[in-house]
Amino acid sequence: MQQQFQVDEAINNIQKLVDNIETVIKGKRTQIQLILTALLAKGHILIEDNPGTGKTIMAKTLAQSISSFSHNSSTNFKRIQFTPDLLPMDLIGSHIFDDIKKEFVFKKGPLFCNVLLADEINRASPKVQSALLECMAENQITIGDTTYPLEKLFFTIATQNPVEMEGTYPLPAAQLDRFYIKIIFGYVDEETELDIYNNYLGIADNLSHIKQVLSMEEILLLQQEAEKIFIDEEIVKAVRNIVWDTRRNTDILLGASTRSGITFLKCLKAFALVNGRSFVNENDIQIISKNVLDHRLIYRNKDAKENALSSIINKEMSRLSNLKK
Amino acid sequence: MEIGRIHSFKKVCTQLLLLVLPTIILVAYLLFNANSYFSILQNNSFEQTLFFAAGILSGTIFYAYRLRFVSTTLVLVIAFLIVYNFLDKINSGEFDAFFFSIKFLIFTYLFFAGWVAGFGLSRSRFFTILFSFLLLLLQVLVVSKTSEIYANQLIAAFAPVLFYSLYLVYTAELIRNMNEDEKRYVWFLSKRLAAFILLALTLLVSILLLFNKEFKGVEKEWSGREGGNRSGKQSMTKENRDGTLSNNDQMKMTGSLSKDKRLVFVAKLDNYFPDGKTPNPLYFTSMYYTKFDTLTQTFESDSTLPKNDLFSPDPSRIPLYFSKSDTTVISNSMATLSRKIISADIYKVILSPNEYVAPSTSFFCQPLPVENEYKNQFKSAYRAKMWVSNLNSAYFIYNPAGNKQLETFQQIRFDQLRMAGGYEGVDNSFMNYYTFMPRNNEYNRISELAKSVTKNSPTTVDKMIAIRDYFTSKDEFGQPMFKYSDNPGIPGMPSASKLNYFLFENRKGYCAYYAGATLFMLRSLGIPSRIAAGFLTVDRSNKNPGWYWFYADQAHAWVQLFFPGYGWIDFDTTVPDLNTQQSPQPDGTPPMNTQQAFMVADGKALTVDTIGKKVVMKVSKMLFHDENIKVKNSENLLLDVSIASITKDTGIGKLNDIKPGTSIVAVSYAESLKNIFVNEKDILINVIKKMPSPTPVDEIKIMDNQEGEKQKMNTKSTQSKPIDWISTFWTILLVLVSSVILLFTTPWIVWQYLNFKAKQDFNNKTKSYHINNALFFLLHQLGEIRHHESPEQFAFRLDLKFGTNIKTFILIYQKVKYSNIELSQTETEFISHFYLPVIKVIKSHFSAKAKLIGFMQFLRTYQYFNYHKI
Repeated sequence: MQQQFQVDEAINNIQKLVDNIETVIKGKRTQIQLILTALLAKGHILIEDNPGTGKTIMAKTLAQSISSFSHNSSTNFKRIQFTPDLLPMDLIGSHIFDDIKKEFVFKKGPLFCNVLLADEINRASPKVQSALLECMAENQITIGDTTYPLEKLFFTIATQNPVEMEGTYPLPAAQLDRFYIKIIFGYVDEETELDIYNNYLGIADNLSHIKQVLSMEEILLLQQEAEKIFIDEEIVKAVRNIVWDTRRNTDILLGASTRSGITFLKCLKAFALVNGRSFVNENDIQIISKNVLDHRLIYRNKDAKENALSSIINKEMSRLSNLKK
Repeated sequence: MEIGRIHSFKKVCTQLLLLVLPTIILVAYLLFNANSYFSILQNNSFEQTLFFAAGILSGTIFYAYRLRFVSTTLVLVIAFLIVYNFLDKINSGEFDAFFFSIKFLIFTYLFFAGWVAGFGLSRSRFFTILFSFLLLLLQVLVVSKTSEIYANQLIAAFAPVLFYSLYLVYTAELIRNMNEDEKRYVWFLSKRLAAFILLALTLLVSILLLFNKEFKGVEKEWSGREGGNRSGKQSMTKENRDGTLSNNDQMKMTGSLSKDKRLVFVAKLDNYFPDGKTPNPLYFTSMYYTKFDTLTQTFESDSTLPKNDLFSPDPSRIPLYFSKSDTTVISNSMATLSRKIISADIYKVILSPNEYVAPSTSFFCQPLPVENEYKNQFKSAYRAKMWVSNLNSAYFIYNPAGNKQLETFQQIRFDQLRMAGGYEGVDNSFMNYYTFMPRNNEYNRISELAKSVTKNSPTTVDKMIAIRDYFTSKDEFGQPMFKYSDNPGIPGMPSASKLNYFLFENRKGYCAYYAGATLFMLRSLGIPSRIAAGFLTVDRSNKNPGWYWFYADQAHAWVQLFFPGYGWIDFDTTVPDLNTQQSPQPDGTPPMNTQQAFMVADGKALTVDTIGKKVVMKVSKMLFHDENIKVKNSENLLLDVSIASITKDTGIGKLNDIKPGTSIVAVSYAESLKNIFVNEKDILINVIKKMPSPTPVDEIKIMDNQEGEKQKMNTKSTQSKPIDWISTFWTILLVLVSSVILLFTTPWIVWQYLNFKAKQDFNNKTKSYHINNALFFLLHQLGEIRHHESPEQFAFRLDLKFGTNIKTFILIYQKVKYSNIELSQTETEFISHFYLPVIKVIKSHFSAKAKLIGFMQFLRTYQYFNYHKI
């Protein structure tokens, strides 16, 4: 009963958060849900899209909706615009000579924050990219002999331009693996677009006056809650099958790793919670599997990129649907 | 300039080995065949094959390079033309020129055909199909040019081509998709070849099994033709498994007739002619052959005779002393004049216990016991009664010359039959059936012969006499035209008509030939006739008047003619066998007359006491002093079997053979029963009370049990029967149609099942599963197919379309399926009231036509159940 209560409360909190973000970001419910999924699964998210689709606003809104531990202000939100001449120390910080103390002190870089928006991550050099991605994986930074832990809640929203665009350093598959979910933000539909044009002043106003609906503790609690979501044996099997099929499929040169499978399970649980459920169902697999797996795979060609994963998922979905339990 | 290759060396080798070589072999075969049908100036199939092989080899190799077809072929044609013209010029001698140019022409055609085939095999993808089609067409042409078409010829003509076509299409595709980088190239080749050979063997074996009989027939004919009488012998009778003998239910005309001298049965028949002196007809009929299979040239019996007058009971199935009769055969014989009823006793020796023989139209059969002292000699016996004609005597040819008595008898008989009149009033279907004969040149020839033989004969019987006279007539040297021979030989061609060979060339044969030829001569004159098969013996009854002995070599066939009013009358046109006419063995002693049986009981044994020699039987029928006792309830009767002799079908039995449940017949000759009398009102229980207990019995016969009969039925049905193509065709058609119907109704049947399941009450989990299954099957069948959607998304789409509430159901179902949470009351309620309304709503969105079409799509059903396997 206690558990049920906690789930209900968690669902309630998530709903509040989603509603709050939706006052600013319109017509992007699925994307918001996926971002929250990555957040609750203690992962990071990669958003791929053209400029001007609301990625930055999204990150900002999310950061501002969460209040920090100590004071009533919002969480620590940092934004880094990645450029080709960016250096790792610009991210993690550097030692600076303090005139008063007569010693080098460590000046923390923008990575020491709660919500980080790494804008256009694929425009930076691979050196910088890997610096960031290692932080994301280890949740700590080591400079010289000192190890600096990052914030307990550290959530990266990275954006990247479509790889085909000029002046980009595509992220290698091994690094893309660090992102739990990759979403394509996409344009809103025509109706919503019109709505946004009509109310852009109001939306800007909403952004500046956004409420802090959840505290950081509550987010951490939600993360714990997401771990407890019930997952049926058949769903686990389905995840196993999908992962195996990506390895077997001749159209896929590099299949999903075991780590990807674990990430997949984590994301499924988080997504179920985001959707207000205390268990994982087929719908979760259908919706997130592509977002979780697609960026980890290397395909034989463009055609395969479009079809291979879909057919694998479809096959597994049919199996689940016809399953007698 | 370097000309690029299209195919690698490996590929060309594969093509040569797997495509070109079989093609050459097939063409060699076809050319060989064609040469035997068409006379070309140079009938040299080997040379022709070489021409073709040269063409196809050079074509294949040539076009393995990147060369254009049209231009290169044009060059070739022009070259041929020039050479052809040149040939004309250089040869001065007229014949030489002609000879060479013809030869060159043949070379050109074949080489060119080979060349094109080589190109096709090498380059064109669809050539294989076209080529197969062309070859088949060619075969059709060749076959249509030959006058006689028989099954084995057709097989010989088409089987190789069909087989080759299959092979070609299969292999060509295989080579096209060959992965040349494959390291184990030889393994690739051999693997596929092995698979193909396996397939081919399976095909061959199944064909062999299917046509086993035909092949055997052909084999037999061929071996017979080669002169060695190894297995080419045909017999009028056939040996059963237990060593007994029956008449064949078909009669083939073969090279030689096998004969043996074993005694088959003995018959007692009283002379029934009014004067008491005319010798008896000694023709015992077993069956009639009314049909003729032109393909195998076999006479066959037919179970669906019009006006069936064949009484063929199984004597072993009738209890001793009890009788079986069928009087419809009398009316079916359509005979009213000069008829009377006689009876005959038949004692079987090696004749099968199931077999029934009797002269003419019999209608009654009563098994009799065999006297104890003869039991080793005669296995069983029965009495037959029949309806015979006073006119009937087949003494047409076997009559000793100068026998006044017979001649007068025959004259009277003929005169009487001359009055019989025509066939105007006779039933049409009867006439059509019994005057049917195949129509083609060979039978027309028989018909012409019959007309010329009988041109001076006005009446039916005169025609018959004319035909007989034709067979016994003498040629210009005073030698008989037709001779009897057990080994007449058969015509050189296995498929040629044996009757024609007999009538016009060989003029030697045994009874089957004479009867067959007579039958068709009569039928061509419009006289209803049939062949009777059975036994014929010679009257040697001086020693034991009325007793006749029948040996295995006396199996015989003759014709019967139908005369209105007189019915079927026997005529035998077989010329006498000059070498052997008499059966060599002296006849034995006939069995004595049987004792008077006072009591006969038929029933099942209940208990058997082998030590006390007692049997308790449940009596179901009883004869007492030849009176049939009325049986209301079957009663138990205690038998004293201490002196009883026990018989079975095959001879003497033992008390051990009687098991509880065995059908037995008990017969008593005991004096103690002699003075017990019963009146008509007595029923079984009273009779049993009157008899002493235990009742002494002298005779127990063990009847075939039901299983035995079944087994017999099986062996009967497995006995060779010519394939009835029409019924086979209908059966195949029926099976096809029903499977098509089944295929199209499968979706509906599946839906009915799922619907039924969904309506049942189960727990939440099962019920929601069945509802889910049925609902989505219905939607799938009606064309609402889920593509790359989760059930929830699919349900959402459906709800928008139909205004239903499927999504709620899906959410609940998913909860049931994947969560550990119990359903709430409202959710349970929802599930139990969800199914029927939603089905109704969905169905109302589709027109009747759409539903019908939807439910015919069996592929969708397949897709629905196999989706996740794709």
